[in-house]
Amino acid sequence: MADEERWIDAARRGDKKAFGHLVEVYQTPIYNLAYRMLGNRSEAEEAAQEAFIRAYRHLDSYDPERPFSSWLFSIASHYCIDRLRRQRIDWLPLKEEIAEPVRLASASPNPEAVVTDRDREAWIQELLSGLPPTDRAALTLHYWYDCPYREIAEVLGLTVSAVKSRLYRARRTLAEQMEGEAYAL
Amino acid sequence: MRCEQAGRMMSARLDDRLDHTDMLRLQDHLASCSACQTTWQQMKALDLLFRSAPMSAAPSHLHVRVTSRIERQEQARRAIAGGLALAVGTTALAVLVLIPLALSVVDNLAVAAILLTGGLETVTQLLALLDAVSRTALILLNQFSLPFAVLSATSLLVALALNGLWIATMRRLQAAHR
Repeated sequence: MADEERWIDAARRGDKKAFGHLVEVYQTPIYNLAYRMLGNRSEAEEAAQEAFIRAYRHLDSYDPERPFSSWLFSIASHYCIDRLRRQRIDWLPLKEEIAEPVRLASASPNPEAVVTDRDREAWIQELLSGLPPTDRAALTLHYWYDCPYREIAEVLGLTVSAVKSRLYRARRTLAEQMEGEAYAL
Repeated sequence: MRCEQAGRMMSARLDDRLDHTDMLRLQDHLASCSACQTTWQQMKALDLLFRSAPMSAAPSHLHVRVTSRIERQEQARRAIAGGLALAVGTTALAVLVLIPLALSVVDNLAVAAILLTGGLETVTQLLALLDAVSRTALILLNQFSLPFAVLSATSLLVALALNGLWIATMRRLQAAHR
């Protein structure tokens, strides 16, 4: 943590090497956030790069009282939300476009053995792609970053009760999508 | 309890945010509502699915790409700033060289214009007009001022064109690296 504070301090003074250390530390969390949001690896990489570059350009506006991770998540998730909104025409009909989603073999006594990591990934991304961008971000921050409601609210600029509602709504929507599927993992 | 409220409780339960009383209320509701029982099973399965998914690792080159993009953008920004400084400098220099010459020409032409608009009534006025016109001509035709003026004007045009080209190239480079 002390290292991180030093790097942030140095990066704010224009030290690119120090910022490079921060990129190394946060590259996977930011890339994963972008990937879960956008559902595409090359777009996720581009979004992650853009998020880091925006962060570097706006380091002056970072409030050291807040966790650096939240600030970065905020930049990355807003970038992805904007990107998805611009591509709204693409993501709205996505649900219909997916030809044959990956399903679990319900007859199998041990579905975990049947479902490969790749299938699981594809399924998760398929489920996420059916959600509105902000709900997708809330769910991602909740499950992959273990962010408490308050932090999700700060990152996404929402109230805590709006976060709870969005999580509920997202779960409800996804649960309906799982209806009829073999969901006993 | 309505199913909508039960659904919200299920969501809170998955996050360990449900107190004991509400948990009992939820259990009661689930015991009597098969639709909510199904939803609860689906929500639990979904929760497990998401919790079991690891983070997707960033490509190994991401860090290098970010730092090199920052470096390139800073280089492009420095180049644009340098080009702008050069444009301002050369323009200012060319203008400074041209100003005295332009002022002399304007002065003499102004005298000639006043004489012409006022009407030439005396020989003195006619001589004054001829003096003003000849002075202007002399300034322009002076063996030193004329080539110098031509050179200055040309250098100004060339400087502006080169700087415009520089800025356009840098912008294109910056856009290509985005």
